[in-house]
Amino acid sequence: MDAPRNPILRVRNLEVNFETNDGTVRAVKGIDLDVFPGETVAIVGESGSGKSQATMGIMGLLAANGRATGSALYRDQELVGLSERKLNKVRGEKITMIFQEPMTSLDPLYRIGRQIAEPLVHHRGMSARAARARVIELLQLVGIPNPKKRIDSYPHEMSGGQRQRVMIAMALANDPDILIADEPTTALDVTIQAQILELLADLQKRLGMAIVFITHDLGIVRRIADRVYVMRLGKVVESGKTSEIFAQPNDPYTRMLLAAEPTGTKAPPPETAPALIEGRDICVVFRVGGGWLGGDPTEIRAVDGISVSLRQGQTIGIVGESGSGKSTLGRALLRLLPSEGEVRFEGRDISRLDRGELRPLRKRLQLVFQDPFGSLSPRMTVGQIVTEGLLVHEPELSGKDRDRRAVAALEEVGLDPAMRNRYPHEFSGGQRQRIAIARAIILKPKVLVLDEPTSALDRSVQKQIVDLLRDLQRQHGLSYFFISHDLAVVRAMSDYIIVMKDGKIVEEGPTETIFDRPEQPYTKTLMAAALEGTALHIG
Amino acid sequence: MADTTTAIEPAAALAPVAGRSLWQDAWRRLRRNRAAIASAVVLLLMAFAGIAGPWFTPHPYDRIYPQYVRAPASLDAYPQEDTIIPQFVSALERARITIGEVEVDSSTVRAPVSDDKPLDPRIVRYVDRSDLFNNARLEDADGNPLAEGATSGVMVADVQRVRFYFGTDANGRDLLARILIGIRISLAIGVLASVMALVVGVAYGSIAGYVGGRLDNVMMRVVDILYSLPFIFFVILLVVFFGRNFVLIFIAIGCTEWLDMARIVRGQTLSLRRQEFVQAAEALGVGNRGILTRHIIPNTLGPVVVFVTLLVPKAILLESLLSFLGLGVQEPLTSLGLLISEGSDNMRSAPWLLIYPAVTLTAILFALNFLGDGLRDALDPKDR
Repeated sequence: MDAPRNPILRVRNLEVNFETNDGTVRAVKGIDLDVFPGETVAIVGESGSGKSQATMGIMGLLAANGRATGSALYRDQELVGLSERKLNKVRGEKITMIFQEPMTSLDPLYRIGRQIAEPLVHHRGMSARAARARVIELLQLVGIPNPKKRIDSYPHEMSGGQRQRVMIAMALANDPDILIADEPTTALDVTIQAQILELLADLQKRLGMAIVFITHDLGIVRRIADRVYVMRLGKVVESGKTSEIFAQPNDPYTRMLLAAEPTGTKAPPPETAPALIEGRDICVVFRVGGGWLGGDPTEIRAVDGISVSLRQGQTIGIVGESGSGKSTLGRALLRLLPSEGEVRFEGRDISRLDRGELRPLRKRLQLVFQDPFGSLSPRMTVGQIVTEGLLVHEPELSGKDRDRRAVAALEEVGLDPAMRNRYPHEFSGGQRQRIAIARAIILKPKVLVLDEPTSALDRSVQKQIVDLLRDLQRQHGLSYFFISHDLAVVRAMSDYIIVMKDGKIVEEGPTETIFDRPEQPYTKTLMAAALEGTALHIG
Repeated sequence: MADTTTAIEPAAALAPVAGRSLWQDAWRRLRRNRAAIASAVVLLLMAFAGIAGPWFTPHPYDRIYPQYVRAPASLDAYPQEDTIIPQFVSALERARITIGEVEVDSSTVRAPVSDDKPLDPRIVRYVDRSDLFNNARLEDADGNPLAEGATSGVMVADVQRVRFYFGTDANGRDLLARILIGIRISLAIGVLASVMALVVGVAYGSIAGYVGGRLDNVMMRVVDILYSLPFIFFVILLVVFFGRNFVLIFIAIGCTEWLDMARIVRGQTLSLRRQEFVQAAEALGVGNRGILTRHIIPNTLGPVVVFVTLLVPKAILLESLLSFLGLGVQEPLTSLGLLISEGSDNMRSAPWLLIYPAVTLTAILFALNFLGDGLRDALDPKDR
């Protein structure tokens, strides 16, 4: 980094407060922040640390009940408390933002060319023709192939990674001094994520703007940031040069974050362990369109002839990027989706059973979902949610017995059973995932399909959930299908790994073999993209 | 929320902590919305007036006062002082007797009467027959009942003081009593029709949406067909088959309004069905019935409640339309729509006949719409 110059953005004692029904929530409690020209600053923290709200406060983009106080100087211009009209001159032109969700930050009704051109026409008063030429230039810059043609695409015609590139092009349109990137790669697959990070680094080198990178992923920070601010509960707990912080973290919280990578491996079950679930040539075909007046349906083979066998006490990690069919495979193995091929559970063919015949088996075949916010019914109490399975499978239990079982299950997953009359929205993400696990294990299942159970959680919570799942496996002799795109977690959880792409198995084998000696080129790319960042801090 | 607190120390006390459900949250938000709460109070008062009011008004809603046709609204009691004497005289004149000077004091009217023949005591009926007087009697000069065969005496009658705060209609019926009964009928139809639409629509829509596939297709095509039936035509058909009946009106309105409800609920169900908590319930082996009643329907209720509060005014307006066309409530029973329709006929000569029912209906509709808006804001999850 260059010798210290004057910061281009100088934030002092910034506070963000939200007025809610339950009183004032202090999201950001007085932080200081400097951004120098041309550098990359990372703000790192877990969900709820206030890292996004701090930048939203600077940019005047807070929700209606939010208020920012303090000072944020951009080239001697105070941004906090600036009128909307003057603020608009700065944001979108001098300071621009890209967001996490490329699916929703583009308007689906307009062609992307028009959306990128909008700030050009608006802020610079460019003519339509000049703006179009500039848009093509920008699309080229962010690496969209064939920009002359793609300029007239609609957002839904592009992939997630391309949409994020379009977002970046939009943010770059007016040659900003500062680009604020709020978790820009979180929603993307690892290989795409690596490409976007490369692009950002490359653009910074060429255009010389400063980047403020907000993320929860320390691997990314390590990879791209010059300096880093670690935030926790609305305060900056530590800041400094990335290399120094990673080498010698001073704050216990930073140390905890750095150590939060799930560690350990799982030993395979003994050779003699009986096979619990065997799937042979499983195919899941979705028919899209068609119907009455719709013409012929299109077939999508989400899972294409996969055979897999899970033994007692084994954990099979199913790895793949989005759209690879890994979740579909998990559901097909539990017979929650109509599928072709044969599924055997404890030696019995269950692939031809109907819903009623499957019901008694559901007790032993359970599923935990990715989204701890969507998988719990918002209008039921935790106690009701956890004991719902008992209503079906052990209807003879009295209300008191069910309550006792709920208490036991909640204790087992490390939750305070006194909370069982609360509703899901009163819990944090990690707690909700524990509730979802309690719901599954209360039935004493044999096989659990874990569909990205840790993906929506913060790293430190991920580690806790992974530990919990391993403990439960040891205690109850459970067998897991562990579906994830997060290779670090998969490595810690499973003893056998299946790598999927486009509904087919690319490679499979014991965990070490796959991680240490991958054979297929696809597996190698995946490993490189995923581990380049995350494996760094071990040193 | 920072998640470092998830590792909770082992629970010492097992006494459950009470939770705060989404409904309680919504209620707290609603309570802070003054317009909605004021509307709810207005509605409660209106409902109370409609239910209990008719028992407390001095006039039954179907009592006709021929002397007080289109009496203007007034806080003073009728009859007005200057009409007492002419009315008394005109009543007495029918008895074909000689009438002396009429005196009026606060509550009685008296006039010396005489005739060639002995006075027939039955002539008091001429006076009693008028709405203005009752307890007519013949007295002698000392105030004792007139002896039989006397040819002169004093005709005494109590002046019957009646109040018409909202005036009377073209048939001489008290408008206040009729408005109160109108509120009762209109609210009853609004609520009953909405409840019917709610029950049928929620059941139909959630089943169609949850089961999906061919059943959904068939069920929604049935809805489409019913949609294409013109409402008035449908009502006339019902009236032809079953005759005019109060129950028929809300059945007719409920039968048409549940279609919207079914579509709303079906749409909600379709999006809920993809939610993971429904899939989780399926993975637990919960049956269709359990999923519908425990997971789908409770989660659709937010938008449904909002829609119902907007449905009630719609049903009231539809009832008004039907009554206006003569297909609805029959005389002497009335509804706000009918009263307004009568009022509009007499707008020039008796504006109060239009103003009071119209203000009442508007107040109800305003209150319902404000309450609906307040509920929508309170139940909107985006606000959380």
